[in-house]
Amino acid sequence: MATQTLPEFISEITGLGSFGVAGEFVAAIVGAGIIGTIMLTYTGIAGPWAKRKITAAFTDRYAANRMGPFGLLTIPADALRLLSKELIIPERVDRPAFDLAPLVVAGSALFAFAVIPMGSLFGINMQIADPEAGLAYAFAVASIATLGLTMAGYASANKFSFMGSLRAIAQNIAYEIPLVLTGASVVIFAGSLQMSEIVAAQTISGGAEPLFSIAGLGIPPWFAFVNPFAFVLFTIANIAEVGRNPFDIPEAPTEIVAGYQTEYSSVYFVLIYLGEFLHIFLGGAIAATLFLGGPAGPVLPGFVWFTIKIWGFFLLTQWARSAVPRVRIDQLIEIGWKGMLVLSFANLLLTAVIVGVIA
Amino acid sequence: MSLEPVRDDTLDADGNVDPQAILDLLGDRVLDIEEHMNADIAVVVRPDTVEETLLALRDEAGFDHCSLVTAQEYEDRYESIYHLKQYDDPTNEVSVVVPATKDDPVSQSGNAAYRTCDWHEREAYDLVGIEYENHPDMRRILMPETWQGHPLSMDYDQDRPQVVTLGQHDNPLKDDIRDEENDTMFINIGPHHPATHGVLHVKTVLDGETVANVESDIGYLHRCEEQVCQNGTYRHQIMPYPDRWDYVSAGLLNEWAYARAAEDLADIEVPEYAQVIRTMGAELCRVAAHMLALGTFALDVYGDFTAIFQYAFRDREVVQNILEELTGQRMMFNYFRLGGVAWDLPEPREDFFELTRDFLDGLPGKLEEYHDLITSNEIFQLRCVDTGILEPEVAKSYGATGPVARASGVDYDLRRDDPYGYYDELDWDVVTEDGKDNYARVLTRMQEVEESAKIIKQCVDLLEEWPEEERTIQSNVPRTLKPENDTETYRAVEAAKGELGIYMRADGTDKPARFKIRSPCFSNLQTLPEMAQGEYIPDLIASLGSLDIVLGEVDR
Repeated sequence: MATQTLPEFISEITGLGSFGVAGEFVAAIVGAGIIGTIMLTYTGIAGPWAKRKITAAFTDRYAANRMGPFGLLTIPADALRLLSKELIIPERVDRPAFDLAPLVVAGSALFAFAVIPMGSLFGINMQIADPEAGLAYAFAVASIATLGLTMAGYASANKFSFMGSLRAIAQNIAYEIPLVLTGASVVIFAGSLQMSEIVAAQTISGGAEPLFSIAGLGIPPWFAFVNPFAFVLFTIANIAEVGRNPFDIPEAPTEIVAGYQTEYSSVYFVLIYLGEFLHIFLGGAIAATLFLGGPAGPVLPGFVWFTIKIWGFFLLTQWARSAVPRVRIDQLIEIGWKGMLVLSFANLLLTAVIVGVIA
Repeated sequence: MSLEPVRDDTLDADGNVDPQAILDLLGDRVLDIEEHMNADIAVVVRPDTVEETLLALRDEAGFDHCSLVTAQEYEDRYESIYHLKQYDDPTNEVSVVVPATKDDPVSQSGNAAYRTCDWHEREAYDLVGIEYENHPDMRRILMPETWQGHPLSMDYDQDRPQVVTLGQHDNPLKDDIRDEENDTMFINIGPHHPATHGVLHVKTVLDGETVANVESDIGYLHRCEEQVCQNGTYRHQIMPYPDRWDYVSAGLLNEWAYARAAEDLADIEVPEYAQVIRTMGAELCRVAAHMLALGTFALDVYGDFTAIFQYAFRDREVVQNILEELTGQRMMFNYFRLGGVAWDLPEPREDFFELTRDFLDGLPGKLEEYHDLITSNEIFQLRCVDTGILEPEVAKSYGATGPVARASGVDYDLRRDDPYGYYDELDWDVVTEDGKDNYARVLTRMQEVEESAKIIKQCVDLLEEWPEEERTIQSNVPRTLKPENDTETYRAVEAAKGELGIYMRADGTDKPARFKIRSPCFSNLQTLPEMAQGEYIPDLIASLGSLDIVLGEVDR
């Protein structure tokens, strides 16, 4: 099912397409700008406001309620505050790496959003590109963040930062494999790495058979329903991959102060924080695409459904943050290598056999 | 519950210390006998026989608990006092008094007998200036390494500048800690770190993620509390200060420690009605303190300001409100007076009882919520069970008390073993756990909250039915108290963290000549290396949290 991507739409309505490659390039930049702005807006809402409100709801408090309705004006106030802080760069930091790390962390998540099908809004398909290897691209780009964390920790010339980055590496290696393997089991179902194909394989309008029908309403074959076991595995690995409770080992505030971000202040700190929230949303976006039918859903436009799904994942991470203790580093590695890895291989193998037998 | 049989040939038929038997045991090591109001016998020994004396008392007379080492300077001599007790029966007390000469104040260390002497003797060296032979680590403990002179010694010049620049101050990164051969890493946890519950500095050597060595560096919050008390009159000027030792809502428990010692020293009776109010107030404080301990421990294990932290604070707030009704203050109560309490329950009394009863009625449900949320959480158990093990023998040697000792199976609670207040009239139990780990310490505190609630309930019932004409809140205490010259006492109460004791020596004036605080946190914190070495950093943090220290009380 070939749909029109966002840059194609832009070049069509603005006539940029008539300028050849240069026009397409400009259209792509504009498209990327739109998607980037949307995601950064979500992050801007999530960081200074939603996170506080959600945590407060879990812990019997009010949180931001002084500035504007529901404290919403906290968002611009905090943005201004964070940007006006002094940028302190310790003496012995490794300069280019120290400066680049926040960009790498934030950038890697943004890049991955290029291939995520965010559904349509007013008939416009919010997806920048739909390459055939879309899923592989998303995983590959997202894991560049680990490089950013390593750079941040190593370049900070701080022992707490260093330990944080070592933990981040250990954790990401341990959980990336189960994550990708579980993602691969979905690829076996869908028969494609292309994001739009994976979504289509889960939606009835995309040509898929309903899983079963209740009172004439077809339940779509979302892979979360088809293989809930894989969905649970994927969600756990995903939380570990984005470093949230109970797997927030690389930061572990009470143990290693703030891990790799200990020495970052002001704008750099904001960038790292943006990167972390973008990664949570990206984790949610990939999970939604692979298991929850992407932007599919009744009545409301696809983009709204997509937004609900990624915010749902954000809510899950905040819930875990409020209620679940952190595991220890050795326990985390043990769960990763001895538990998740084995289970995800079993899942992949079983899926392959079942799909092979049925199809 | 004894873990090893105590030799009872130094005890008489009633289980009390037989002073003559102690003298026989120590033989000609005893130079003289002194009178201490608390102790069954106070023996004076030569400075070079301290170790053998203490070992003899520990091994052959069952004095397994060194509460405190007090050092002081007289006109003609220095003196160290080892206050020894028995974990089985803390009313059996022996003081070992060790004089040292004025020009060469050297005395043998008691470290071989009691590990707790380590820090206590360092403090004595730091503040008074007595040096201890064979001490493993004779350094300053509260003052900076560069400090000049000993602040509590008689010839100390307070006007001398003590400016210590950063460069002069002991630099933790100095070369001798850098070890080129070894692949360990030295790291400073604190004094500003999210998990140290105050300004504690833990010098940690790491081997990967494993803790190879831990050393606590304290003194950042030293406020000369002992000297402040020495400059205040017994009657009114000292009482406000105890609130500031363990400042996290345990105020009344601290005040009681001073009240008990001073009332003992000046022979003051406390009316029964006031004792019931004291008991109720103290237990409310214990509930508040344990809630805070639970919340902050969860914070250490969970990692953020999580639900359980906020829930614990929400419920502690209720206790604070009750205490505010009772005392007029939320934290710095200053409610106890020598011979009673400052004022009666707030009018109308029914409202106060209702407020307290409402809290008690809601408590079981809240505790159940805590159990659902933390103790039954599998990840929490994974983190806490079998980490931070503290063996009972080790705990005793370090003088650990309170929930820390009781979670290691040491059945020691001064409320029962050395009764004061109204405790022995009430029906409650001492909580012990034998898990010895971080988990057991959490469970102990949570069960102690239940026991405290039982006590409060009985007190409220008693107070409600107390006949109006018998509500004496204070006994008749002279305006100026001048206990007799040279009377000395050491008295302790069971504070939220353990045995909180006060040593006081009177010199015939209206101010104490020596005021020494035995802080439970100080002794408990000493056990940290035993619990943390060989474990992972997160376990070190959890163990530190489970000790429930308050730096205001450690540093005083």
